[in-house]
Amino acid sequence: MISFKKILKQYSKQTVLDIDSLDIPKGQTFGLVGNNGAGKTTLFSSLLDLIKPTKGRVINNGVDVSQSEDWKSFTTAFLDETFLIGYLMPEEYFYFIGELRGLNKKEVDAFLVQFEDLFHGEILGGKKYLRDLSKGNQKKAGVIAALIGEPKVVILDEPFANLDPTTQIRLKAIVKDMSKNKDITVLVSSHDIQDVTEVCERIVLLEKGRVIKDIVTSPQTLKELESYFKGE
Amino acid sequence: MFSLRLVYIFALMIFKFISLQWKAFFRSASLGGNMIAKVFTWFFLLYFIVITTALGLLSYKLITENLEVENPLLFVNKYLIYAFAYWIVVRYFAQKPPVLNIRALLITPVLKTHIVRYALNKSVFSFFNIIALFYLIPFSLLLFKKGDYEPYGLLSWNLAILGLVYITHYLNILINNNNKILYSIAAGLILIKGLEYFSIFDFTIYSEALFYSFYETPLLALLPWAILIFVYYRVFAFFKKGLYIDTGLEVKVKEATLQDYTWLNRFGKLSTFLKNDLRLITRSKRARSTVLGGVFFLFYGFIFMFQEQTFGSFMTFFAYMFSSGGFLFMFGAYVPSWDSQYYPLMMCQNIHYNEYLKSKWSLVVLATAVSTLLASVLYSFQGIEAICAVIAGGIYNIGVNGYLTLWAGAYTKSPVDLNSNKNPFGDKKAFNVKTLLITIPQIILPVLVYFLGSHYFNNLIGCAMVGLIGVLGLTLKNKIFQQIVKTYKAEKYSTLNAYKQNS
Repeated sequence: MISFKKILKQYSKQTVLDIDSLDIPKGQTFGLVGNNGAGKTTLFSSLLDLIKPTKGRVINNGVDVSQSEDWKSFTTAFLDETFLIGYLMPEEYFYFIGELRGLNKKEVDAFLVQFEDLFHGEILGGKKYLRDLSKGNQKKAGVIAALIGEPKVVILDEPFANLDPTTQIRLKAIVKDMSKNKDITVLVSSHDIQDVTEVCERIVLLEKGRVIKDIVTSPQTLKELESYFKGE
Repeated sequence: MFSLRLVYIFALMIFKFISLQWKAFFRSASLGGNMIAKVFTWFFLLYFIVITTALGLLSYKLITENLEVENPLLFVNKYLIYAFAYWIVVRYFAQKPPVLNIRALLITPVLKTHIVRYALNKSVFSFFNIIALFYLIPFSLLLFKKGDYEPYGLLSWNLAILGLVYITHYLNILINNNNKILYSIAAGLILIKGLEYFSIFDFTIYSEALFYSFYETPLLALLPWAILIFVYYRVFAFFKKGLYIDTGLEVKVKEATLQDYTWLNRFGKLSTFLKNDLRLITRSKRARSTVLGGVFFLFYGFIFMFQEQTFGSFMTFFAYMFSSGGFLFMFGAYVPSWDSQYYPLMMCQNIHYNEYLKSKWSLVVLATAVSTLLASVLYSFQGIEAICAVIAGGIYNIGVNGYLTLWAGAYTKSPVDLNSNKNPFGDKKAFNVKTLLITIPQIILPVLVYFLGSHYFNNLIGCAMVGLIGVLGLTLKNKIFQQIVKTYKAEKYSTLNAYKQNS
């Protein structure tokens, strides 16, 4: 289980995150929506100990992330292009991540086979470094790398943005597939409310760092979110 | 009326450019570090200015009295060709080519010619150009006062040399952006040095004749200036042509090849990182040139060789110690900045800070050990004392300087742009004043210890004392690493924040 306890993040008096309590149980596929500046990336960054909250604690499966580094063994993430190593070829990048997670080359290769569809022949076996791939292909590589090594917690920031329609559909299928596995907790953020309602079991709506809505996804969810964002 | 308006617009534009640069400096996240570096830079500049002026004032006396040469101007002209050759090399390594955020300006209503002109001209008053005057003016004044030299001849000689200095200035900008020119000039310089070294060809005769002619025939001084104008327009045209996103500003894509480096697997868990760092060095221009710069350190020992009488044996020791520290001082100084572009990834991976830092340290140690080995072979012809000095220096580099560099790295929060060959105005200099600064405390202490040892006992004891400190450092490895990790953890969030800014 992941819990945010009395989290407050301020930059010179401006509050960007203010969450009293938020628990994400094991196995849940959790969606985060909100406009720009709502605090989605800040929330994820605090969970990954990339920023230090002004107040409060983040507990990832019993580990206080700012006190111990043990969460690193079961958590993976892809937030943005700073999670890619530009001078590596996609294969080398996958092997690198795999090695850090205790997988050898063969095991990584075997793992990657299932994503051949998604890669569409543009990632593996090419003659390009990650830095020279298109933004969409970079994202594909980054997201898939975050799935290597059977992580228990997967954090993806805007995984569906900037992807072509086919890839979006395929990637959504992959995330849905993961949500069936009750061992993996998946945290996804998105600007597209349709994407999240389609994929996630629970959706939290942030605004100016606060939780405005916390809903279990149902057929009415999309309508509910739409009317909120319309300003009704 | 019209021209007045044009002048007004132009002045406004210049002001705008300068204010942009101003903001880039003062709003950068590493401002504190920048300030300190600036202060030290000024200190260095002042130091060089004083030295150069002193040289200018003293050289007349030195040449006429100590060397008993009758015509000091002739004497200086003899060696000017070497001065220029060295100047090109110094410029290449130390002078940053002009940097301007070009892409953003392309679609603004600023004439392309103005963009290029600004980028080229803002460095006209660079230290590397002005410093020449600090020698030329006092030297010429003394020539005029004490010697029987023609004032017009001296003036034209000065102008000619100034013109040549500016030619090297624009040449440097070209060299930095065009590898063909870089290699041909490098080849030319090596050829000159080689021909001189094996005394096949004496350049001093031609140098003397050429530069003295500027004094004898004042009109000839126009020649360097004509060449200067030609070079300026070449550079100008080169950049103007490059102002398209599919030509000069184009991101050049090289065909990639998979590198497994399976032979590195013997290093166990460390190999994962060694492989990546090796790929970094081979694939990033910035990293590659840094490591190449480090290789030159191997030859540092030659600088003070055969001159122990003048400089004392501790300077030779310093040079020997430096010769094994190339990788450490050049590449190590940018740890962990090399990983700045993907630092968040590193901070989230299944590896503890301790292991990450140890892997970086091991890389530096490995490279230093190899350099020590190479250097001790290289200098073995100098006898046992040289070998001991190289090895003692190497041990000190491994046992003390390795930690110091790593520790300093926690505070060096300037991101390194690995893809900085993106455009011809990009910053791809690997060697800067900041890197030079950290090296000071790492060198003064061992040289001092050696000096004391060799002064009161003998050179070998001096070496042993320095080596002992290195060994002591190695035995304290775990304790020191605890401290380093603590520092890195405390600095982690601000480092992550600073790396976000890519400049």
